Amino acid sequence: MTETTVNETASAGASGEKTVAERPTNVLIVGVGGQGVIMVSKVLATLAQAAGNQVKQSEVHGMAKRGGAVFSHVRFGRKVFSPTIPRGEADVLLALEWAEGLRWLPYLNRARGVFIADTQRIVPPFACRNRADGAPLGYSRETPKDILAKVRTGYALNATGIAESLGNRRAANTVLLGVLSTALDFAEKDWLKVIESFVPPKTVEVNRAAFLKGREWAERHADVGLDEDVDFSLPSPPAVEPKRPQVFIERAWCKSCDICVKMCPERCLELDEKNIARMKAPERCTGCRLCEYLCPDFAIRVLRLPAGDSQQEVRP
Amino acid sequence: MNERADPQKLPRDGSFEIRDWLRLELMPHFMCPGCGHGIALRALLWALDELGIDKDKLAVVSGIGCSGRTAAYIDANTFHVTHGRPLAFATGLKLARPDLTVIVISGDGDSLAIGGNHFLHACRRNLDMTLILLNNEIYGMTGGQVSPTTTADRFTTTTPFGNNEPVFDACEVAKAAGATFVGREATLQTPNLKDLLKHAVAHHGFSMVEVISDCTEIYGRKNDLGNSPEMILAQKSGMRPEAYRNTVDQPFRPNPFRTGVLHRGDRQEYLDAYRARVQAVQAAKGGGK
Repeated sequence: MTETTVNETASAGASGEKTVAERPTNVLIVGVGGQGVIMVSKVLATLAQAAGNQVKQSEVHGMAKRGGAVFSHVRFGRKVFSPTIPRGEADVLLALEWAEGLRWLPYLNRARGVFIADTQRIVPPFACRNRADGAPLGYSRETPKDILAKVRTGYALNATGIAESLGNRRAANTVLLGVLSTALDFAEKDWLKVIESFVPPKTVEVNRAAFLKGREWAERHADVGLDEDVDFSLPSPPAVEPKRPQVFIERAWCKSCDICVKMCPERCLELDEKNIARMKAPERCTGCRLCEYLCPDFAIRVLRLPAGDSQQEVRP
Repeated sequence: MNERADPQKLPRDGSFEIRDWLRLELMPHFMCPGCGHGIALRALLWALDELGIDKDKLAVVSGIGCSGRTAAYIDANTFHVTHGRPLAFATGLKLARPDLTVIVISGDGDSLAIGGNHFLHACRRNLDMTLILLNNEIYGMTGGQVSPTTTADRFTTTTPFGNNEPVFDACEVAKAAGATFVGREATLQTPNLKDLLKHAVAHHGFSMVEVISDCTEIYGRKNDLGNSPEMILAQKSGMRPEAYRNTVDQPFRPNPFRTGVLHRGDRQEYLDAYRARVQAVQAAKGGGK
C-alpha cells in the first residue's frame, strides 16, 4: 500500500549552472490521493533537473483510491544528500488540500518559507465521527487569514474554483503550479514545456490556461495572498432541533445474543447479571439505531425525542 | 412473564414501529438467540410499512423450517403450508386473488432442495409476487442437515466429516430460470435490505431476494464460527456491493458473494399475458361473454 521511491539524478550538463544554488531548495507538496501531488512533484523535479540541478524526490503514494494523505518531498540544488526535508526546512509548502497544508505547517521554514494552499476542503470520514445531532465537523477551524498571518509569505486561493471556471476541476494542481512558479526561479516557458510533456494530450490546453491563470493570480495578489471577497468560512452544521435518543429494551423479549452490545459503535450497552441487554451509558448514545436494526428479537426500540421531553414507557 | 406493552400507548417519534406489524400475543418469537431471520423479518415489515401496504391486502405464505415460522408473527393474512410448496400455494393464491400483494418467505432447503421444482417454475412463470429466500446454509429446524447452499467442507449432522457437495447460487438459478428481479443482501445491512425488499415488492413480476442470514445455534456452533456478533460481523468480510465490484478490478478482499440488485428483466408478467390471451380469444369468438 505504501511505497517510497527515490529518484536520484546526477548533475546534468553545464547549461543551467547559473540557477544552481549552494543550498538545496526544499519543496514539500502535500494533498489527498487523486489530486495530482505526484504529477506536481514530477513536473518540478524534471524542471529542476533540466536546469542542471541534482534532484532527489521522495514520496508516499498509492493512496489515490482511498483518498488518503499523499506527500512528496522534492529537493534540488548543486548537491543533495538526504531525499527528505527536515522539519522546519521547507522553502515552499504546496498544499492541494487545506487541512493537509495545515498538518504539514511545522515543516515550513518560518523565516523564508512560502506557503501555497488550495482552500478546497476534502473532509475525511474521521472528521465526521461525532454523530450527535448538530455536532460540528472535526475539521480545522483556522481560516486562511489566521494562517497567512503566521507565515512570512502565503497564498491561499480557490484553485479548484479557478480550474472549474476553466472547465476541468482536475487542473487545480496546475493552477497551484502557476502560483509555485512565482516563488521559484525558473522561466515561464520552461514550466509550460515540462507541464505539456506530462499531462494527457487532450488536456494540454486547459492545463496551459490553468498554469497561466495561477501565475497571474499570484502576481495580482502578491501583497495579501488571498482573495478578500471570497467566503472561506466552513459550512456550519445543519440547523436541526437537537434530539435526545432514548433506548427502550423489552426485557422479556431479549435472548442475550449479545449482538447489540458488540455492534454498538459507542459501546453504550451491556449484558446485566441475568444476561439481558441493558443501557450502560445513555449519555453516549447518538441514536444511530444500529442496535434496533440488528436486534433479531425486536427487543430494542430507539426513540429520538425532542430534547427535554422525557418519556416513560407506558405499560398496561 | 411477558410484560407486553400496548402498541397504541407506546411513545413514538414517527419512525418505523415493528409492533404495529407483529402478532404480539405470539412474541417473543421461537427463533434462537442471534438468528438472522428476525432481522430479515424486521427489514421485510419495515419495507411493507414504507410502501404503505394494507395488511388486509397482504398475503404472506411460508413453507416449513425456521424461515417458515417467521410468517406466523406477521399481523396479516399468513399461510403456513407444506414443505417446499409455498410458491405453488402462492401461485394459486395470486391467480385467484390478483388484488393481493403476495409474499413468500422460504428458506434455502425449502426453496432450493425440497421445493426446487416449484422454485424453477415460479421464476419461469413470472407471476407478480416476491420470494424472500432466507439463506442460512442449513436445515436448522429439522436438526441441522446439509442444505444445497452449505459451504464446502462445513460440518452438519449429515456431513460429519465435512460437506462434499458444491453449492447452489440461488441468484444465478433464479436468473437462469427467468425471474425478472433478482437481488441479494445480508442481514447486517438492514437498511439496504429494506430498500432492496421495497424494490422487490414494488417490482411487477416475479422477484427473488436472497437474504444472507445466520444460523448461530446449530450451524455456527457446529462449525466453530463464533457467537452471534462474530457471525454477523463475518458477513461484512464477505460482502461487496454490485456497483463497487464493477468499478474496482483489484478487490481489497476475496469476493464470496455479491450484494445488491443482480438482475432485472423485462419479460411480460404472467397475469398480463394471461389477460391478453383471454381478450384475444374472446374477440375471436365474437364479443365478450
